[in-house]
Amino acid sequence: MAKRMEATKFLVPLNGERVDENTLRLACTIARSEKGKVYAIYVIEVKRALPLDAEIEPETEQAEKVLKRAERIGDEMDCEVVTELLQAREVGPAIVDEAVERGIDVIIMGMPYKKPFGEFELGNTVPYVLKHAPCRVLVWRESVDIEEP
Amino acid sequence: MNVIIMGCGRVGAQLAALLEEEGHKVTVMDRESQSFSRLPPNFQGRALVGDGTDEDYLRRAGIEEADAFVAVTQGDNRNVMAAQIAKHLFNVPKVVCRIYDPLREELYHSLGLETISPTTVGAKLLRDVLID
Amino acid sequence: MYIIVVGGGKLGYYLTTTLLKEGHEILILEKDPAKCDAICEELGSVVVRGDGCEARTLAEAGTERADMLIAVTNEDEDNLVACQVAKHKFNVPRTIARINNPKNEALFKKLGIDVTVSSTNLILEHIAEEVPTHPLIHLLTLTGRNLEVVEIKVPPNSAAVGKRVRELALPPQSVITLMVGKWGAVVPTLDTILEPGAQLIAVTRTEAKEALREAITATKGAE
Repeated sequence: MAKRMEATKFLVPLNGERVDENTLRLACTIARSEKGKVYAIYVIEVKRALPLDAEIEPETEQAEKVLKRAERIGDEMDCEVVTELLQAREVGPAIVDEAVERGIDVIIMGMPYKKPFGEFELGNTVPYVLKHAPCRVLVWRESVDIEEP
Repeated sequence: MNVIIMGCGRVGAQLAALLEEEGHKVTVMDRESQSFSRLPPNFQGRALVGDGTDEDYLRRAGIEEADAFVAVTQGDNRNVMAAQIAKHLFNVPKVVCRIYDPLREELYHSLGLETISPTTVGAKLLRDVLID
Repeated sequence: MYIIVVGGGKLGYYLTTTLLKEGHEILILEKDPAKCDAICEELGSVVVRGDGCEARTLAEAGTERADMLIAVTNEDEDNLVACQVAKHKFNVPRTIARINNPKNEALFKKLGIDVTVSSTNLILEHIAEEVPTHPLIHLLTLTGRNLEVVEIKVPPNSAAVGKRVRELALPPQSVITLMVGKWGAVVPTLDTILEPGAQLIAVTRTEAKEALREAITATKGAE
């Protein structure tokens, strides 16, 4: 038999994309089987033109909606989901900092399949987290047909 | 007219040749001596190796007696700095400065420098040729 | 304060670490991606990759709300332009430029840069302070007033020895504020007589420093 994973704290960054739900459900499934907890976070990237603690209305509203929905999914799946809204200059470092602070065991990130300029792009956040996170990282890339209508 | 051209690239060299043909007294400055190979073989003016953002070199190039100063090096910022030295320290009557970056060009124009952005001019020219 | 640092070289990096410790919000603008990565690794999200002379980069950096911009690249022209764009396009209240060639100090001041820092001049000043025979030592610059506080030693062979303060050919707006001689420190009046070897503390205009030095240190033969 395989050795147990020994992971109880799972961090799931959300950003309101379609991939959010599948990622969160995956995290909840794993967490429940491990009797663990899911920390769902939404990072608002604050432009430098504004101070870091500026109140950004539309983004905050959107973030709160996304996090509420995450709580509902947690309830539905019978898994404890702790939500948090963060403001930072860059998403990648914010995720890594949060993982360190909370002593996270696994970060589970979802990413859409995107070809913004005709080529598949990984973006900045996923590579940053893969490179800098001290814990394990699981990346869930959405299937091609879901994102391409 | 007594003209100093800073930067002997394609534009600087061609401008030097044009002005000389019209009978002006031309001094060309460049940091690299090999740049002067761009000048026409029959060029009679002065060619001087030196940094145009250094007032001592500018003095050596005769900026105190110059009627006009043109900054056409590859660096926008070098051009801006040299043009401001010519205008504000040496009070050269006519100072023209090439700035590729249109935003920077706009700013320095509003600050009183005579500026030309080849980016803006070039795009407009191309547009006019395309849409006739 | 929100401070933008243009140039992420050694100077920019160490400047930023210190300013961060003091609790300021700092952003470094650096063109070189490798330097950006290194800074980000060490200091976190305090760096944006871009040209600090470009209005677009500066706009992205939120220069409009910056209290200060410090340009510390290796190129004087880049430091000049970064400060000028910050000042004139984004109304940054205070701009500081590093100067590599000390000759540029006057030019930068004339072009509206608030403060210039020349490492060459700083080192020279320190050398001057370390060399005991140097008769005039810069102590302090009174910001914004073009006035300096300096220390001058009265050489024993100076023509000024034995003269009253009123008899000295002091340049205008230069005042001897203190004389430290064999009787200790005294606030000189116009009738105070200069002692050989005394230390004078004086306030003078920057451009009159040399004339002041002349007035105190010229020997009798030179008169």
